[in-house]
Amino acid sequence: MKKQAIGILGLNHNTAPLNVREKLYIKEGSIPVLLRMLREEGVPESVIVSTCNRTEIYFSGEDSEEMMEKVRRVLSRAFTAPDDWFTAYMYGLSGEEAFRHLFLVASGLDSMVIGEPEILGQVKDAYRIAASERSTGFFLNKTFHKTFNVAKRIRTETRIGYNPLSISSMAVELAKRIFGTLDKKRILVIGAGEMCEVALKYFQKQGVSDILITNRTYGKAQKLAGEIIGKARPFETLFDLIVDVDMVLASTGSEEPLIDPARLQAVMKKRKNRPIFFIDIAVPRDVDPAVNDMDNVYLYDIDDLKDLSQKHLSDRVRESEKAQVIIDDEAARFSEWLRKVDVNPLISHIMARAEEIRSKEMKRALGRMGVSDDETVNNIDTMTRALMNKLVHPYLALLKENGDPAVFDTLKKLFQFEDNDEEDMDSGDKGL
Amino acid sequence: MNVYLYNTALGLYLASTLVYAVSLASNRPRFERPGYYLLAAAFVVHFASTVARFFEAGYTPITNIYESLSFLALCIAGFFIYIRKTYRVEMVGSIIAPLVSLVVIMSLGFPSEIRPLIPALRSAWLPVHTVLSFLGNGIFVVGFFISILYLLIEKEIKRKRSFLFSDRFPSLETLDRINYRCMSLGFPFLTAGIITGSIWAGFAWGSYWRWDPKETWSLITWIVYAILFHNRLALGWRGRRTAYMMIIGFLLVLFTFLGVNFLLKSLHAYV
Repeated sequence: MKKQAIGILGLNHNTAPLNVREKLYIKEGSIPVLLRMLREEGVPESVIVSTCNRTEIYFSGEDSEEMMEKVRRVLSRAFTAPDDWFTAYMYGLSGEEAFRHLFLVASGLDSMVIGEPEILGQVKDAYRIAASERSTGFFLNKTFHKTFNVAKRIRTETRIGYNPLSISSMAVELAKRIFGTLDKKRILVIGAGEMCEVALKYFQKQGVSDILITNRTYGKAQKLAGEIIGKARPFETLFDLIVDVDMVLASTGSEEPLIDPARLQAVMKKRKNRPIFFIDIAVPRDVDPAVNDMDNVYLYDIDDLKDLSQKHLSDRVRESEKAQVIIDDEAARFSEWLRKVDVNPLISHIMARAEEIRSKEMKRALGRMGVSDDETVNNIDTMTRALMNKLVHPYLALLKENGDPAVFDTLKKLFQFEDNDEEDMDSGDKGL
Repeated sequence: MNVYLYNTALGLYLASTLVYAVSLASNRPRFERPGYYLLAAAFVVHFASTVARFFEAGYTPITNIYESLSFLALCIAGFFIYIRKTYRVEMVGSIIAPLVSLVVIMSLGFPSEIRPLIPALRSAWLPVHTVLSFLGNGIFVVGFFISILYLLIEKEIKRKRSFLFSDRFPSLETLDRINYRCMSLGFPFLTAGIITGSIWAGFAWGSYWRWDPKETWSLITWIVYAILFHNRLALGWRGRRTAYMMIIGFLLVLFTFLGVNFLLKSLHAYV
């Protein structure tokens, strides 16, 4: 029997332009159909990962070259796209290269925004769909569980996803450095642009209790207040509003700064110097940069945030080198394990062991009964065979479908299967 | 017995320091808890050592430099455990653990044997005055380091470039609250320490106040903290300014505690 191999056929934002990616994007609803087509084509195990930046089919079968061709055939049948797309824009990898790629993808190292965490969830979903469609077996189960493990290890051991990149999440991060928790904090929004809406969602998620919105055009403030749960306030009361809030998000189209040190000084006195954090995403700026020099006043404008984002990105690139080392290490170990773990010998061993018991017990029973007519012997033979198969089947099914090495080990012990490798995967495998 | 316990406590303080250092260096917050627990264990053993010394000596063991430093370290550790309960600031222990270890190690440089109490200190005021004063001092030590941390983090946020300290240490608001707690608890203890000292002086030296250097500098320290207290409550001083005042106040505490003994001639020359 030929050894199973893992392979991948796919495209991503590096290999295919947007129009190709759009065309070959597979909606979640269509995935089960495609999985079935793959099974019918003779690809025993497959998982489909499709996001706006990538469409990848992971598969496992006895001959990865042949499997890859099968996958390609299914794809060209499923999509009305030029046939050369499936070669020109797609990459095919097999063996260690394939799961190495999966490790990279799941850890966010292959993403457009390096280190972004969403991809891990997307890969998990893709795996879940395939598993519930019974399109995964021993090899892909094992490979994906290992992948989630590696991704988790990279999250905890490197700071790849540590520093936020988006303006909104950076603003939240900075606010936490000043206030600790944002629970029950109040935020004032000046201006009612779309940018505010995104940022406010982030702040809301952090437990900000009150959102006040003010705008020169009161109606716009009311509209935004309706869309997110906030309260509109008249623009004339701006400086009174600042007295009672902890954070101010400014994004008006005003030509002149609305907030200057002199007037803010009076506000700070009324606030009893409670700290206040200004996030000024307006261009031109709404808040005079000099207020950052005032005690207990913190100001970040759009350029500050962009600079910080750049810095965070370069931090992530540096951290991705550490992540690469982890992936190299894990890929080498996984490859070693795959080389050793092969369910087929164990399956034959279990069958042989069961057969040995069956024939011995049957012979003994026949001897005691003293029957020798062919019909009775045949009947007993059929009966014991059915009994044996029914008893053994759940074990074999578990072994074939479940990628958990614990199952493999338990069955090895249960059926006293000795092979040359006692070394198993590290214990870290259990926490999926 | 007290020496054996004291050495054990030092071992635990050092172990805590090490765990905290690993946590900081490896950037793994999960070491914070073990670091804190080691520190708490060290405190318990240290406390037991102080109690043991109390029974072995037959008097409150705050009568010389060795005992005072030990008791100061105990107060610092104890106060940190107290604020940790409210503010969950395990990571501040990475400053407290080495600090307490250092104070304990310093104490070992001074004579430590138990001697009969000199007549001047044989008084019921000894435990009252010393315990109150050292509780105040211990709290101000913590306030000093919290203030330094506050200034470092404030600077980072204002400079907008790197966030070395604020990545691991508490937020500005939390630090400011702790600072306020240090001030509002340390000040009454300092006040009580001065008052009980003065009463004791009235009995022992025949006069409540004679402008002895220790008395003078205590008063100066008290005035600085009183101004700080007033400004915070009445003028709403917060953050950077109070942090600076806490630092100045602590430097005065330090001078009153050590400088007066070593540099100036004082009647109060036991400690």
